[in-house]
Amino acid sequence: MSVVIDILMAILLIYLALRCMLAPELSKTIFTFFAFGLTLALAWIRLEAVDVAIAEAAIASGFMGVLLLDSLRDFSYALSKNPKNLELPENFTIKESNKSLLLPRLALGIGFVIFLLISMEATWKTPEGGGLTAVSEELLPQSGVEHPVTAVLLNFRAYDTWLEIGVILMGLLAIFAAGGVKNYRKPSMTAVDPLLRQVILFFIPVLFLFGAFLLYFGKTGPGGAFQAAVLWGSIGILFHLGGWPIFAMIPRKLRQFLLTMGLGSFLILGFLLMAAGGAMFEYPPAYAGILILIAETLAAISIAVALTAIYVYLTK
Amino acid sequence: METHQIYSLTSVVLFAIGIGGVIMAKHFLKKIIATIIMGGGVFLCFVSFAQRDALTFADPVPHALVITGIVVAVTSAAFALSLARRIHQLTGEKTFPDEK
Amino acid sequence: MTDLPTSSYPALLVGLPVLMATISLFFKSRGNAVAGLIGCLLTGGLGIVSFAEVTQRGTLIHILGGWKPPLGILLRMDSLAALFIGITAVVGILISLYAWWYFSSRKVSDGKFTLFWSLWLFLWAGLNGLFLSNDLFNLYVTIEVITITAVALAVLSGRTVALFAGLRYLLAAITGSMAYLLGVALLYGSTGTLDLGLMGQALEPGATATFSLIIITLGLMIKKAAFPFHFWLPPAHSSALAPVSAILSALVVKGAFYIMLRLWTEVFGVSLSYAAGQLIGFTGAVAVIWGAWQALLQTNLKMLVAYSSISQMGYLLMAFPLLILAPGVASGSADWLAPAWTGMAYQVMAHAFAKSSLFLSAGIIVFALGHDRIESLRDLVAWKPMTAMAIGIAGVSLIGLPPSGGFMAKWMLLKGIFLSGQWWWAPAVLLGSLLTAGYVFMLLRLAFAPAREKIAFRPVPHILQVCALLLALGSFLIVLPSENLIQFLGGTESFGTGIESIMEGGVHGNE
Repeated sequence: MSVVIDILMAILLIYLALRCMLAPELSKTIFTFFAFGLTLALAWIRLEAVDVAIAEAAIASGFMGVLLLDSLRDFSYALSKNPKNLELPENFTIKESNKSLLLPRLALGIGFVIFLLISMEATWKTPEGGGLTAVSEELLPQSGVEHPVTAVLLNFRAYDTWLEIGVILMGLLAIFAAGGVKNYRKPSMTAVDPLLRQVILFFIPVLFLFGAFLLYFGKTGPGGAFQAAVLWGSIGILFHLGGWPIFAMIPRKLRQFLLTMGLGSFLILGFLLMAAGGAMFEYPPAYAGILILIAETLAAISIAVALTAIYVYLTK
Repeated sequence: METHQIYSLTSVVLFAIGIGGVIMAKHFLKKIIATIIMGGGVFLCFVSFAQRDALTFADPVPHALVITGIVVAVTSAAFALSLARRIHQLTGEKTFPDEK
Repeated sequence: MTDLPTSSYPALLVGLPVLMATISLFFKSRGNAVAGLIGCLLTGGLGIVSFAEVTQRGTLIHILGGWKPPLGILLRMDSLAALFIGITAVVGILISLYAWWYFSSRKVSDGKFTLFWSLWLFLWAGLNGLFLSNDLFNLYVTIEVITITAVALAVLSGRTVALFAGLRYLLAAITGSMAYLLGVALLYGSTGTLDLGLMGQALEPGATATFSLIIITLGLMIKKAAFPFHFWLPPAHSSALAPVSAILSALVVKGAFYIMLRLWTEVFGVSLSYAAGQLIGFTGAVAVIWGAWQALLQTNLKMLVAYSSISQMGYLLMAFPLLILAPGVASGSADWLAPAWTGMAYQVMAHAFAKSSLFLSAGIIVFALGHDRIESLRDLVAWKPMTAMAIGIAGVSLIGLPPSGGFMAKWMLLKGIFLSGQWWWAPAVLLGSLLTAGYVFMLLRLAFAPAREKIAFRPVPHILQVCALLLALGSFLIVLPSENLIQFLGGTESFGTGIESIMEGGVHGNE
């Protein structure tokens, strides 16, 4: 029975991915992408990866989906505004270009199929490496948390997680570099449907509590800094949707502090541990639990602010 | 056929669809979505191995790697999106000039 | 591996630039630049000090979090990593000094250039992290750090050309890193570890290992702009600001090459074959000739220099076939491994110095004239003698004339080629040098030609020219300690696992 469910799910995933790529209209692509993300989240639940499912649904599908939707509006709006983009060049004939492209397309198609077959053979024949389950199970009691994924993320491989918090900050700087900063004007309070505002005001405390719940219980069960951060980040996004530009209201210094707090505190903690004679991120076992919770909370706030900022600067 | 085998086979198909999309699709947004689908395939591959190697719980290392990977992939995609929108804003283009 | 001396240098090499980048974010324009420059000087100084430390104490490691591999991540600074960190430090300091005067004399009120310092420091942290990393997934995170910051730097000029080039670069790089990550997923599935050393021992030959080798190599070749995937490099490198072009071409492309070298020598020993080496060598040889030929056809200086990068990076790939032993060759008799290895190391150093110098000189010319048409180099010797000298010296090193570092690289490579009996690579090396001589002399001929008309140019700070000249001289000065450097690279006591096996016996090819 479960095999049937898995096969159906696999077929659905492949179908949605293909639909997403082949859909003629951009809006269909994006809505299919939503469906694809949610199906992928379900697949992860089937594979017992609840943490990944939450991260997928929240970040890859939710956050990315919001950005894509807004971009869709941007792209289609400008299209209707500049009708000259729709005009074809005078010497443009569709038939000719199709003919000359047939051979390379055929070659590409054959290459694609060969690649697919080779890669499927390679995955099918993957030897059983055994993974790191046994080692993590053995060392879990020393990590200060009870949930194995949180232990890997914030203790065993804390260095990767620290770099990743940095990547989010760098992504924000990169978006500035792409042309965000100069054109950003402080938006004024805009008129929004009062009903929408009521709904948003209702959701904000719910999201906040749910995020805090995920963060705190990340040490014993699925959840943790990233999942909480996305929920908190969505609070910021909702505020902006409701016409409260809170991001612009926070003073610049405080904003910078909030953005860099996660990366900086993690780094300073690492340096302090090194100064105390250990390695970077080598928590004393007795304090590991509390240190991880502090680092995680600060990181979650920073990521939430960074995600809000990415949304604000990208969609202005 | 076991669950992890089904999903690991699916994962490379998704990867191939994504890579085909990056090469063949013309619109910037489609190319960016294709990179995320490609990433989805790679992450599915990791997680299917994690389920295969489960003892009392599934292998936590791939799970952690995938969470890290999703965040990194989404950040780069958001950056690509900002570049695409900036190009669109300045020139009105939705594709690369030589790929029309 | 975990019984090597531990040190906090590896962790500091990544942590310090991140700390300084974060601090510099808190300041506005002038303060930001000051904090950024201080950060660059400190990071560079730390890189040089840690290089010296490795020459004294041998390989240093840092076990992050105290968790040993396979569960934890290990930072390792062996002589190869130390060499790359050292080059990054010296080139990085000079580029930072150039950038300081470049930006301050442009008097840009535009706030965007202040992002340069934080992004450059984050990029530096990523590079150091990449050279130190001994973990396949951590390598992925570091190359993503490098990609995001490098593309952000490349689009900093805000021009439309740069934005198009940047988006293409970013999409190519994301595709490359996803391909790399798929290979990592399969390798993790088949060995249950991410540590390079442990994986090298655990990996069994088979379909999965071969496919991982192919897909990882392809992914990295996209990222290092190797021959069929070089399309993104020339527009991205040529449309960036001068210091950024120098950083991208001298340092960033070396990152993907470094991972490839590490993985081929340490992980994939079992699934490499003689033919795979020949294929990689072939793409390298094509890149050498094609890149140099394209450079010869360019009419813009920065495009010329960018195409020359494709050509020079090709030489690095040509050393790969020499590192894999043909079937039936005993490892003891492979006396060409040491020259091939040294040639590769020298090519990395010489290219980093010469190419950054050329891009900085091109930046000076753009600064003075407002454009970079090659024709405008006329009479350069009269109006900017120092820049003309820098272009000449760097060009001589690119061609590979004695006594430059480039000569050392190509000479060692040729020596390795003839000793190994794979003579068919020699024509490519020579033809590449000949074509390189063609475009370098084309530049120099114009520089000495009298001007047709009086050119009006903006005054350029003297110090910019000094930085470019110092980098050009650097490509000659690296020859002086050649004896010590070869010994350092080959010295048994300071070695990690992979290169040791290469120097002693090479990777055995299957069949």
